[in-house]
Amino acid sequence: MKFTLDWLQEYVNTDGISAAEIADHLTMLGLEVDAVTEVFSELAPLQTALVLSASPLPDSDHLQVCEVAVGPETLQIVCGAPNARKGLVTTIALPGAVLPGGLKIKASKVRGVASSGMLCSERELGLSTDHAGIMELPPDTPHGQSFVKTAKLADTMIEVDLTPNRPDCASVIGIAREIAGITGRPLCLPVESAAITTPSREFSVTVESPDLCPRYAARLIKGVKIGPSPLWLRARLLAIGQRPINNIVDITNYVMMEYGQPLHAFDFRNLAGGKIVVRTPRPGEETFTTLDGTERKLDADMLMICDGDRPVAVAGIMGGLNSEVSNETTDILLESACFNPVSIRKTARRLNLATEASYRFERGVDPDGTVNAMDRAVALFCEIAGGSCGPEGMDVYDGRKSPLSLSLRISRTSDLIGMDLDADRITKLLESIALRCTRKDEDTITVTPPSFRVDIEREADLVEEVARLIGYNSIPTSLPQVGLSYPEQDKARLKRHEACRILTAIGFTEAINYSFTAEDHLEKLELAADDQRRSVVRLLNPLSEEQAILRSLLLPGLLENVKRNISFQTTAVKLFEVGKVFTPTGSNEQPIEKTRLAGVLSGNLHGTGSPLYFKSQPVDIFDAKGAVEFLLDELRLLDASLPEPLSFRIPSADQLENFADPRQALILCKDAQVLGTLGKIQKDILKRFGIKHDVYYFDLDFETICALAAAPKAFSALPVYPAVKRDIALLLPLHISAGELLHAVADSREKLIEHCEIFDIYTGKPIKDGYKSVALSITYRSADKTLTEKNVEKSHQKILAMLTSRFEGAIREA
Amino acid sequence: MEQELQRLQDEARQELNALTEIAQLEDFRIRFLGRKGSFGTIMRSLGSATPEDRPRLGQLANTVKAEIERLFEEKQSALSAGAAAAKADRDRVDLTLPGRQPTIGKLHPVTQIMNEVCAIFEGLGFSVAEGPDVEHDHYNFEALNIPAHHPARDMHDTFYVSESILLRTHTSPMQARIMEAQQPPLRVIAPGKVYRCDSDITHTPMFHQVEGFLVDKKVSFADLKGVLTVFTQKMFDKDLALRFRPSFFPFTEPSAEVDIACVFCGGKGCRVCKRTGWIEILGSGMIDPEVFKMVGYDPDIYSGFAFGVGIERMAMLKYGINDIRLYYENDLRFLSQF
Repeated sequence: MKFTLDWLQEYVNTDGISAAEIADHLTMLGLEVDAVTEVFSELAPLQTALVLSASPLPDSDHLQVCEVAVGPETLQIVCGAPNARKGLVTTIALPGAVLPGGLKIKASKVRGVASSGMLCSERELGLSTDHAGIMELPPDTPHGQSFVKTAKLADTMIEVDLTPNRPDCASVIGIAREIAGITGRPLCLPVESAAITTPSREFSVTVESPDLCPRYAARLIKGVKIGPSPLWLRARLLAIGQRPINNIVDITNYVMMEYGQPLHAFDFRNLAGGKIVVRTPRPGEETFTTLDGTERKLDADMLMICDGDRPVAVAGIMGGLNSEVSNETTDILLESACFNPVSIRKTARRLNLATEASYRFERGVDPDGTVNAMDRAVALFCEIAGGSCGPEGMDVYDGRKSPLSLSLRISRTSDLIGMDLDADRITKLLESIALRCTRKDEDTITVTPPSFRVDIEREADLVEEVARLIGYNSIPTSLPQVGLSYPEQDKARLKRHEACRILTAIGFTEAINYSFTAEDHLEKLELAADDQRRSVVRLLNPLSEEQAILRSLLLPGLLENVKRNISFQTTAVKLFEVGKVFTPTGSNEQPIEKTRLAGVLSGNLHGTGSPLYFKSQPVDIFDAKGAVEFLLDELRLLDASLPEPLSFRIPSADQLENFADPRQALILCKDAQVLGTLGKIQKDILKRFGIKHDVYYFDLDFETICALAAAPKAFSALPVYPAVKRDIALLLPLHISAGELLHAVADSREKLIEHCEIFDIYTGKPIKDGYKSVALSITYRSADKTLTEKNVEKSHQKILAMLTSRFEGAIREA
Repeated sequence: MEQELQRLQDEARQELNALTEIAQLEDFRIRFLGRKGSFGTIMRSLGSATPEDRPRLGQLANTVKAEIERLFEEKQSALSAGAAAAKADRDRVDLTLPGRQPTIGKLHPVTQIMNEVCAIFEGLGFSVAEGPDVEHDHYNFEALNIPAHHPARDMHDTFYVSESILLRTHTSPMQARIMEAQQPPLRVIAPGKVYRCDSDITHTPMFHQVEGFLVDKKVSFADLKGVLTVFTQKMFDKDLALRFRPSFFPFTEPSAEVDIACVFCGGKGCRVCKRTGWIEILGSGMIDPEVFKMVGYDPDIYSGFAFGVGIERMAMLKYGINDIRLYYENDLRFLSQF
């Protein structure tokens, strides 16, 4: 909602209150001011000028040389306007001035004749489309003055960001009422309470659907002359960003802005039978062309304004082309009505047509103000457009509601606001904005809200008004007196925080991607046709194809992040994301939301570590595996004491992700259940994401993992006796995997063995082809005594024998 | 002999003073203190002294020897300290080189702010609950007093999945979900992702909110002001000016928006605060009686307040981030700054 200070001044005296103070009052009343702008500031360089003489320029059929007085100066201007003549007061742009269209005025020569400025038309000043000649100001206008000041264009526009509950403030009078209330100054309105007492005999109004149209009033204005509006009216409309059309349309718009009552002017000549019928479409009335020239499809429940034969307007939204006011119009039927907000909203939505009128009707227009606004417009039609109108008119008000009578409890108001209030204070506050109060009993005030406050229907609404008028910042500040209680912690959330802490500690940075993604990501990842993640939740109204589905896996987002980072020369990337993926369940059902944890690794392992200390080393599969191991270990899910600890396995063909390199892929299992996968992403898949570097990933079912029982932290006594370490170098066939050796040692149940680890793997000379050397280190320890070589030797020989026989190995001599 | 001893002591002192190398010390020791050294030679002549002189001369000899030994040790430690210092000099490290820093990752700034916001409210005894991103129209709108065809729906550009299933446009549905399932007193915050189909320089189609509410008997608007003042002061500077301003949300009445003095211009007025000197940081209000009725609470017995904090906005204000699109590009140059 936009208005100007001069306009506001017509209804409430704001002398002595600055624009900033008005803006502040409004904002603190809940009418948030978005902008305070000087209007027509672009016209500031223009001055008024008096044409002293005008004579034709030789060799030209239309140019004239004018002597122009601008204050003490006399200038020579070459002008092409036919109306340039002696005695005309007009506007001049002097050299250096820039016109609204961007034209910079320079002193120049036209056909050898010096011209030091430009006399301007209204179009050149952005005041209208009139370019027939230069502006004609009243002859008594002094010259050499600022044009915007003499033409009273200089003004301040204030824009308010209206909340949907305040349609009454979608009008300058509504704003004025609030200012009057807060300042205690009187409100004066051009028309305060009008009524139609004489029915018209020249037209009829029938409302067939009173539930959709509580009130419909109209008057007939005859003999109007269509033409441009006077400058003051155009200036007001321009100042609030509305384009002037002609005097009739401008007046209806002006009064709508003034009173908040949308009005519509029909060309009476085009209303068949002189009839107005407010009804829904009849069979056969399937389309209707609105005055913007668009043919609209009508539904059976859309309220239409019709004449004797056919629809002539979509009620409360837009008029029809068939009854539009044109330059030949002389008689006007002016409509001022009140429509059902929900009906208007539904229709506007379906027609995808939002207008200033529909905006107001959707939110609620004062049904008691209908005729006031109409009479105001009628007065302007007569004054400005030369029309005439008797007292007759029609006013069908079948939807009249009796005024509300609300009970406001003083104690309740005090409790809710948190300060002691008495009846007098509350009454004074509410009456300042026209809410009528009467004392009902000790604790109750009966309040009747005015008809324009359609938002006040309940006690709570009154409490809000009281709080608002006291001023929120005058209400005290306290802390609630509540009983002590321990808030239960959401375990999944704590686990998530823990996982984030662990992963950031080992160099992963958290990413957050949109929950929606492009469907072709699934294609890019080559998910199998029957992959469950192919079944996705689709948005009905996505912003773009890139954001058309809810993600069913996290990886694509992270791959896009990798690409972005690499393209900005950050080649060492370790990112993770904890987020939801979505699986549809059924139409009109909520999908299943599952939290997953995924990560990607690419480039230098040491990231931003200084090359002075950290040799550049590309990440590999063991960094991905190590990260997951570390995470799970820290979450205490790998502990051997658990009944079913998690373990990594080589995936079978049907467990392998299509996008993973089959030779570098692992799955995380709990028994037979797969809880995650990790591996190297295939090169050609990466290429589709625009990535040329190697990328490793992990993707875990975090929700299930979080729900697993973690091993408790349990103390075990520190060993008292020293350990004995024995190293073994084994020569093994290449196909034997190291993990098998470790499992075999662990399964051997040799009780002196405390720990076994692999410390080297080697292939190449002097190891023969097809073999590798695996170096193991076994730690022996007893809880009861210091071990001797002899004690260890027995166990160690058993292990050696077991390893060599079981894995076709040989002891490699040192 | 007395003179000889005295001379020896003087000689020893002079020689030691002149010594510069640790290697010369041994030569000195042999010459003066060794068995065949100068002192030994003098001592051997002690035998030829008269018996009555002998004790006195013996004592003097011991004193001189002790003195030379003391001087010798003094020199020895002085020279070896010098040698150690010289070695340390040769082994000197360049301390202007950078330290060897471990590489760690960072939490996303949105997560950081979210954790901070939650921690403040948890400190005030609020519990944390999370709800579904994909919601029923009922919880997102109807239960919050936003019926179909209410103009307030214009405030929410909604992504739909089906006729009555949508991406939640705020975290407020958790109010209805929790109140439906639990009885007052309640103190809960609900952090999470929310969605609006709006994307431009100041809007991303997904962002994060923390919803919070408190319901009990006799909770007042003054209490709302108190709790949100504590929050704002903990989140920002405790001396930062803040104000409460009337606003409208269908599920609260009275409704209030909270502004803080613009952190960019200090309240003088700039482009960010649209020259008002104030920046909006959260929406709040007393829970509307209609919302209570829908979950079966008696609004004459219970009252409460609710609020919603936009996390990205909070991060922008705290960290000075000037482009919201940065949040979801996951550029490490951005993420590593926080």
